[in-house]
Amino acid sequence: MENKSPLSPHIQIYKWHVSSLVSISHRITGIINIISITLICLMVSLLVLSQNSYDTIYLFLNSLMGKFVILGITWSFSFQILSEIRHLIMDLGFGFELKISKITGLIVIFGSIIFTVIFYLIGKNIF
Amino acid sequence: MAQIGLPNNSKVKKGKYFKDKTGSKNLRKVNIYRWDPSTEENPRIDTYEVDMNNCPSKVLDILNKIKNEIDPTLAYRRSCAHGVCGSCAMNMDGKNGLACTTPHKEIDGDINIYPLPHLKVKKDLIGDLDGLYKQYQSIEPWLKSNSKSETKEIFQSKEDRAKLDGAYECIMCACCSTSCPSYWWNGDKYLGPAVLLQAYRWIIDSRDEERNSRLKKVADELKLYRCHTILNCTSACPKGLNPAKAIAEIKKMLATANI
Repeated sequence: MENKSPLSPHIQIYKWHVSSLVSISHRITGIINIISITLICLMVSLLVLSQNSYDTIYLFLNSLMGKFVILGITWSFSFQILSEIRHLIMDLGFGFELKISKITGLIVIFGSIIFTVIFYLIGKNIF
Repeated sequence: MAQIGLPNNSKVKKGKYFKDKTGSKNLRKVNIYRWDPSTEENPRIDTYEVDMNNCPSKVLDILNKIKNEIDPTLAYRRSCAHGVCGSCAMNMDGKNGLACTTPHKEIDGDINIYPLPHLKVKKDLIGDLDGLYKQYQSIEPWLKSNSKSETKEIFQSKEDRAKLDGAYECIMCACCSTSCPSYWWNGDKYLGPAVLLQAYRWIIDSRDEERNSRLKKVADELKLYRCHTILNCTSACPKGLNPAKAIAEIKKMLATANI
């Protein structure tokens, strides 16, 4: 009897809001960051190995795919840092009111995009 | 590892369609989760056309109307209808709340009604809350005093009493706990927002003498620290309380207390 009972729908039906989105993105970007740090270390060690591997990395970074990966990593790091600051403030016991948490969440989301653009422009020697 | 999808016996199928018989022009479609324990079938979504001209303002009124006028087999919990008892907690339009205090005007389009998320369903909109009540019992939600000979009342200053505001009003409707993804995946170990808010309520009570042992009890990786400030709980609470902040306060006390 008890085992027959179905489980009521959960993540399938629950509405997303700013705070839950930032929370799940924090986890996802965290995993992306671990992978990308490993990748960056690999690339750096390849750079010093030989002329051939240097050329491969150079080609990859200049391809569309490479640029996308770099921009993605920049966004992911920006997001993680801003979201972590938000978490630190929350650990001090501030920012739990619904309105404030929504505002700080939006700052994290849009701030990460702004940071990515700024880093891109710095990389392009615009500043 | 958390199971994201639903088990096979819980997959929701399309159900019956109840066409309006009143001939009213002002109709609304209401989709309701149904499951009958007497059959072997999967849960289904039944759709009802409800005449909104003769329906009061809250979602609970719609459910009452359906039960009284369209389909008497619909099962759901309800009692006070004034947001005090917490019986009619359910998931409406993707958000937990009390059906008796949620106006249907605030919901756009069709009204989707499900039981509280990630619970064993007993029938239709009734979820099994036994696990939550057991956890509530585990935090020993009563005043503990070491002085056994004390027979007089224990005084409390106005300031100390004010600390309980925002914690004692909880009606244990389980809207917050069942809205929490951490509680979905670790509900057997993680206490969840509702129970932790109550734990906090007894920890900060100036009359209670077991503060340290209460703190020690919740100081556990799984019991307390599964809160990742998703804030689904705070946004779901029909009484406007803030369980997430209470959990953060407990964490803060543990970080600063010498126990």
